[in-house]
Amino acid sequence: MALLDVIGVTKDFGGLRANDDISFSLDKAELLGLIGPNGAGKTTLFNCISGLYPVTSGEIIFDNEDITGLKAHDVARRGLARTFQVYVASGDLTVEENVMVGCFMRTRSRSEAKSRADEILEFMKLRDLADYLVSELPVAAQKRVTMATALGSRPKLLLLDEVAAGLNLSEIEDIMASIRSVHKEMGVTVMLIEHVMELVMKISDRVIVLDYGEKIADGNPAEVAKNPKVIKAYLGERYVREHAQELS
Amino acid sequence: METIKNALDFSDFPRLDLIIAVLVLVFLLLFPLLPFSAFAMATMIQFLMFSIYGMGWNTIGGYGGQVDLGKAQYVGIGAYTTAVMLIRWDIPFWVSMPIGMCLAVGWSFIIGYPLFRLKGHYFAIATIATSLVLKALFEVWTFVGAARGLEISPIKYDPPDFLRLIFKEDVYYYFVILGFFILGIFYINWFRKSRLGFQLRCIKDNEAVAQSLGINVRWAKVKTYAIATAFVSVVGSFHACYIKAIEPEDTMSLDISILIALMAMLGGAGSLWGPIIGAGILIPLKSYLKEWLGATAGLVGIDLIIYALIIMLVSAFEPRGIWGIIEKIRRRRRK
Repeated sequence: MALLDVIGVTKDFGGLRANDDISFSLDKAELLGLIGPNGAGKTTLFNCISGLYPVTSGEIIFDNEDITGLKAHDVARRGLARTFQVYVASGDLTVEENVMVGCFMRTRSRSEAKSRADEILEFMKLRDLADYLVSELPVAAQKRVTMATALGSRPKLLLLDEVAAGLNLSEIEDIMASIRSVHKEMGVTVMLIEHVMELVMKISDRVIVLDYGEKIADGNPAEVAKNPKVIKAYLGERYVREHAQELS
Repeated sequence: METIKNALDFSDFPRLDLIIAVLVLVFLLLFPLLPFSAFAMATMIQFLMFSIYGMGWNTIGGYGGQVDLGKAQYVGIGAYTTAVMLIRWDIPFWVSMPIGMCLAVGWSFIIGYPLFRLKGHYFAIATIATSLVLKALFEVWTFVGAARGLEISPIKYDPPDFLRLIFKEDVYYYFVILGFFILGIFYINWFRKSRLGFQLRCIKDNEAVAQSLGINVRWAKVKTYAIATAFVSVVGSFHACYIKAIEPEDTMSLDISILIALMAMLGGAGSLWGPIIGAGILIPLKSYLKEWLGATAGLVGIDLIIYALIIMLVSAFEPRGIWGIIEKIRRRRRK
């Protein structure tokens, strides 16, 4: 059953069409990857879904409710959380306090927010860093903090915007394991934007490809990787040659 | 219950800070026992008043990062409510002060809601404008004495009058404002770690992130603006009883708004002790420089120059004020 239905979403910035009639639906407990070249409109689509941008036309149905045109904070309250490429909640706050900001969406009590935040820190393996200021941490840890903060709000759907960008291989392995456990153990539906193909192709149940604001492919990772349109627009011949074995 | 516990919980500060804070508090409590001049007493009361103004400003301006340059209008609302009620209907301070607070907070909602559509400099300019408009209205409103203002005549009362807050000796005023000061510290200590306090710091850093965490950014700002207003208006009411003569020019002028903001920024916006440190430096400096250089050496106005210089230096070297410098040094030591 569909948790999220995006129906014909179009977003114009003046004369530029950033998203052109995009439709897809996302089932409960699915893990969906969103890929495409820079400027394809991936983050714009996230911004439209999460209510930061009003859509030019189209509809967004989340959990059987039309959320098109709702303010971002109202969308978030309905259980749709997201992360941003570079930002944590606040660089002035400690890791624990950042996660508490997320938890405060569901409770007014400080002690409740704190105990919930501690659980999530444990889950995201951030316990040891709890008292550091986020601005003092390396990128990989900051990315985990953004995920933990979003999880604080107990989302049904989590949109992850490039959580693996700028990480080294072992860090990518770690974050991939975290995404998997968020998906499997917490039962959160996940949609992620990613340029790190090793990650997307390995963990996604399904992949959507955008190019110049249009959806050019939608299917399981192996299908998508063989799609000539996708190879031309994004993956390139070399990727397909090098990964021929895994993909078949 | 949890709220009270949180308000009294200072455990995240280093022990040194707490020792200094306790020493300062002991000094403040014992100050009236020391041989002090009337001038020193007046300066201390000013220091406490501006600390509270600064604490209020710090909620929206420091933690929330919304530079508000119109706090004087709320000093005026508090002061005028108390003065008008006392003079016209003989209503005591302890009744008029909360009423003034309600009026000020009500006014802050009316102008805050549209004002928070604006961001950054535009917001700052708009706060100045609303404050000036209100001042101009009070200057022509005869009910509140227009530009001549109002005078509370102490002869009519029998000091010490604790209900109306009419005293002959400043030491009574000193203890009243010290009480508000201590309450203010506890409130801010609770506030900075409250839900709203955390949400504000998130808003200050990035509004899009804040929204995506379910925070209604505009409403959070309006609420905090009202809290800041409540602080300022209480001291405004006190100001009316303490000075006993109020007029739009000295309660609602732009100077006061700017002084409030500068003090908090100098001490360290967005920190608990910042506004107190700022007021502790600037108020004595301001009044003593004026006294020594202005009256003795005939250099009228030089206090303002020195004062401006300090502010320029601090903002050039550490925009987070004196508290920012202290924290920087500490972090370097830890490494």
